[in-house]
Amino acid sequence: MELTQFIQNVLNGVSIGSVYAIFALGYTLIFSILGIINFAHGAVFTLGAYFTYTLAVGQFGINGLLKNVDLFPNGSPLGSSVPGFVLALLIGSVLAGLVGVVIERLAFRPLRSRGADPLLALVSSLGVALVLVNLIQYLVGAEIYSFPADVYGNLKPALVLHVGEKLVVIRTVQIIIFVVSMIMLIILGYLISRTKIGKALRAVAENPGTSSLLGISVDRYVLYTFFLSGFLGGLAGTLVATSFGIAGPYFGVTYGLKGLAVIVLGGLGSIPGAVVGGIVIGLAEAFVPAEYSAYKEAVAFALLFVILLVRPQGLLGRALVQKV
Amino acid sequence: MDFLQNYGFLIVTMIQQGLLGLSLYFPLMAGQLSLASPGFYALGGYIAAIMGTNAAFAPLRESLGSWIFPLEWLVAGVASAALGLIVGVPALRLRGIYLALATIAFVEILRVVALNLSVTGGAVGLFGVPQPFGFVDRWQYVWIFGPLLVLVLLFTARLERSRVGRAFRSLREDELAADAMGVPPTRYKVMAFVIGAVLAGIVGAMSAPFLNTWNARQGTFDASIAYLAYVLIGGSRNMWGPVLGGALLAALPEVLRPLQDWRLIINGLVLVVASLYLPQGLVGLFRRRRAAPLARPATQEVAK
Repeated sequence: MELTQFIQNVLNGVSIGSVYAIFALGYTLIFSILGIINFAHGAVFTLGAYFTYTLAVGQFGINGLLKNVDLFPNGSPLGSSVPGFVLALLIGSVLAGLVGVVIERLAFRPLRSRGADPLLALVSSLGVALVLVNLIQYLVGAEIYSFPADVYGNLKPALVLHVGEKLVVIRTVQIIIFVVSMIMLIILGYLISRTKIGKALRAVAENPGTSSLLGISVDRYVLYTFFLSGFLGGLAGTLVATSFGIAGPYFGVTYGLKGLAVIVLGGLGSIPGAVVGGIVIGLAEAFVPAEYSAYKEAVAFALLFVILLVRPQGLLGRALVQKV
Repeated sequence: MDFLQNYGFLIVTMIQQGLLGLSLYFPLMAGQLSLASPGFYALGGYIAAIMGTNAAFAPLRESLGSWIFPLEWLVAGVASAALGLIVGVPALRLRGIYLALATIAFVEILRVVALNLSVTGGAVGLFGVPQPFGFVDRWQYVWIFGPLLVLVLLFTARLERSRVGRAFRSLREDELAADAMGVPPTRYKVMAFVIGAVLAGIVGAMSAPFLNTWNARQGTFDASIAYLAYVLIGGSRNMWGPVLGGALLAALPEVLRPLQDWRLIINGLVLVVASLYLPQGLVGLFRRRRAAPLARPATQEVAK
């Protein structure tokens, strides 16, 4: 493989991998606390993209509430649409986080408080996903929506690097996706490892019973977790949508499944694992040769299958010890 | 015969989905959450569709006549058993959610492969699958799905009372204890997985002519979850659960048809409500409550 092709693949892979990572962290946070996979996460991803689109560009009634928001009366250095878009992105992700909270209250908490079979949570969260996806379809139809090219303002659409004779092209969107994901990861890392909330979350993840005895309100921290998870999912959805458009209400399903591959690859419940898993799968997909590109969709699952067979605890997960 | 004309397709679909629910019930009997059934269902369907339409099988079709159909079921069953062994032996070392995720990956990989091979018709799929035994109406498929359901239920009832069935149940209750008592876990888990795979494969082979077409949409993650819902909502501790769950949930979209666009939304709500309020499944409603609360000590969850 030529050097330029190699560099190009690495850049493409790291960019999409970083968004896989923040999306998959939404699964990880919930799994580490409840030991349950929230199958509605893919639907939250989709919702996040629609929320942001509605606020920033929309034609679904709100008509781009924030389309012409101008925080800089003297003219923003990046272009007039950027502040509105950034605000829409934040509000859209917060709304996705609130949807996460609603999902916890409706589909998870009743089962948990009864001590029900965890498998039932799979079905109830899938029921929620079915409701959300079809609600979107009912409200806005199955059309494809694309963000306008200027949501990121008057930045150049792509960065072209000269390596020897050849060119390496990086789309601006890819850089933004990577940077936003990294910022999010740093904030999350800080939140989990340095703050009181993070400490409580880690305590609940370690042992909900004991944390509750020590005065930590488990239910409240579970709600925070679902909020964070939904926020990350919604943010990832918007980021992907600014790059590829919103392909309809089922847009999140593929990402939802790939996210599962990411968390298993990294190790279920491991936060660094989700990041490593995301990047590895992004890179693996980027390196699929063009003539086999039809099989690209299977790469994540092939990796999932292989890792489960050779190292079930994942790349960074703790070894599973069965207690008797 | 208007009734059969109008509802024949639905009735056969209800039986078919009940059978697919059962295919997931077998691994669950041994405590294994496998979502692989749609993969084997798709495999069986492709085998029947290819044997029914591919030019390479034309001489065989001519010489066998209607006997080609039982042969398709047989080939689908054998192929599913073989693939089930290949996938099952390594995958069943995994437990709980890991096995579920591995089988989701298996289904997705098969789907992408089917989308890209030429023998499976790629994204378009295969059309015009020949009808068995001169069937002209959809409802006539009752004559093949019905007997299969009866056979499978008889088999299951026998199995549950046999040594193998007791081994499955012991693995479900406590794998370590079963192992210590001389029940080899891997052998029985693989056996349960393969039984489910063979059933799904045969149902697939029967369904390709029923649907008249076969494509990669037949074996997807959505189907995995649908089958799981049949079992959990019908009741996962009794063979009637998956049959009942499959039949009712398959009929639900039809019953809700007057609601039009709200149909799938309500369908999702039913899943949520049923998993919240029917912990023992629908079958649990019909059973007397005695013994159940005593069967398991309440300290289970805390002790873990």
